[in-house]
Amino acid sequence: MTAVIAAKSLSKWYGNVLGLNDVSLEIEAGITGLLGPNGAGKSTFMKLITGQMRPNIGEVTIGGRSVWNNFPLFSSIGFCPEQDAFYEDVTGWEFLTGMIRFHGFPPEEAAERASRALATVELLGDKDRRIRSYSRGMRQRIKFAQAIAHDPGIIILDEPFNGLDPLGKRKLIRLVKDFRSQGRTILVSSHVLPEIEAVTSKIIMIHHGKILAEGDIHKIRDLIETYPHMISVRSNAPRALAAAFVGDASILKMSFGPDGRSLVVETHARDAFFGRLQSVVVEGGFEVEEITSPDDNLQAVFDYLVGG
Amino acid sequence: MDEKNHRPAVSFWASAREVFGFFFFLGRRTGKTRVFFLLGMIPAAMGVLVRILVAGRAEDYAAVFNEILMLVYVTFYIVILPLFYGTSIVAEELEGRTLPYLTSRPLSKPGIFLGKYAAYTSLMFLMVTASLALSYFIMNGHRLGDPELYLTFLRYVGVLGLGLLAYTALFAFLGTFLRRAILIGLMFGFGWENVIQYFPGSTQRFSLVHYLKSLLPRQAASGGKFALLLFRLEPSPPAAAVVSLALIAAVFVALACWIFRTKEYLFEE
Repeated sequence: MTAVIAAKSLSKWYGNVLGLNDVSLEIEAGITGLLGPNGAGKSTFMKLITGQMRPNIGEVTIGGRSVWNNFPLFSSIGFCPEQDAFYEDVTGWEFLTGMIRFHGFPPEEAAERASRALATVELLGDKDRRIRSYSRGMRQRIKFAQAIAHDPGIIILDEPFNGLDPLGKRKLIRLVKDFRSQGRTILVSSHVLPEIEAVTSKIIMIHHGKILAEGDIHKIRDLIETYPHMISVRSNAPRALAAAFVGDASILKMSFGPDGRSLVVETHARDAFFGRLQSVVVEGGFEVEEITSPDDNLQAVFDYLVGG
Repeated sequence: MDEKNHRPAVSFWASAREVFGFFFFLGRRTGKTRVFFLLGMIPAAMGVLVRILVAGRAEDYAAVFNEILMLVYVTFYIVILPLFYGTSIVAEELEGRTLPYLTSRPLSKPGIFLGKYAAYTSLMFLMVTASLALSYFIMNGHRLGDPELYLTFLRYVGVLGLGLLAYTALFAFLGTFLRRAILIGLMFGFGWENVIQYFPGSTQRFSLVHYLKSLLPRQAASGGKFALLLFRLEPSPPAAAVVSLALIAAVFVALACWIFRTKEYLFEE
């Protein structure tokens, strides 16, 4: 697949503060999660790829074209900024139609698109209220609506889940996933790991302005050799299962899970362990209810990478 | 990139037009506009007071308008309005953090600036014209049948309109690159502009108010009790004054557009 968004040796600093440090990466179609703690450089990266800021060093391109001051490019980009900022004295409808008109759509089409976008984010019933009176969740949703209303091929969402209640988050996650199925390129940033994990397994991890890792979350985990893999096996006889593994060279450590029914194994040789587990289960006649990898998730990978 | 979603960019003039439409509409809704509209009613209220309290001849009322109320417009109202609206063209987007809604669209940046400038100048023009009409016709109510009255009114409207264009352009220009443009604008509008009029020689041509006063009807410039407040030196010829004001407005708008296009604006964290 070809890269839709590409950054080459991108650096940005604010006075003496480094915002982004020598970042080179390529983002393809589909959903990509940009993950990092507050102040990691996520918003700086988002602002650079949406032309809000100019890089000090390097270049960011979309579809092979440089972004800074290239305003024709923005017709195919939808940007949902992080900040909870609006023109407060207009209604949701006026705001949205105004934003759509900025893309050159005639009034009738702008109205039609605004209706569609408001319906998508379930704000059609509140369209005539001033944005000043909207709740935080409604404000997040109208911000999302203005990013999608012009039907862009690239959607950049900077912390879109902030301020949403659990139901709102679930709905937005579903919406974002729907947009992926339409062949778009979507970049979502968040400092909350489960939010990113819920929308994609393709991630970019950023910390202190540098890219720590990028790619599929599970593959990244496999590449981290320093930390053993944790495997939890829930069975009807965890102690007997543990006894069968005593002396196995592939196992570094064994313990029992808090439910008393799980055997938690730490190993560097995950494939060897699974091979051995299969034969132990068959030979011992154990009933295995569930096998999980407690650290094959974003939190564990992130903690490992930043040394947490 | 998905080419089916790629629309052509919005041209410079279309950008300015769309931005004008949005901000002219939005500007009418803001608290700032309500406050300044009420402020514009002060000269009208002064006119009513004069008519009630001072039992004078019709000519006296006209003189009061020409030599006092008109000065309120020229030296205060059309300075304070552009100061707040002009400097806010960029500043309100930065303070409100709304700039990305404009700059992430396929709009020409100079078009965005020009659209906001035109929207706010039009809004101010309407406020000033409404206020001027009230105070002018209150003070000249005794000769509503005189066609000369309406011509003079149009002349006043034109002078104030030119003043708004020039002051707004200057203050908007300052606002594109200064964080505290309003302070510099205050010093210019109410310091320099007032002081420079009393300097000898041609130095007063370095003020905008000089050209505006040059365009006021002759009656206001000579002979009245308050003439000393108007001119120390001879006014510039009207044509030169109009060209100067138009040129000042055009140059500052062009410079502001250029800065807005090239400058990177960061929000204060």
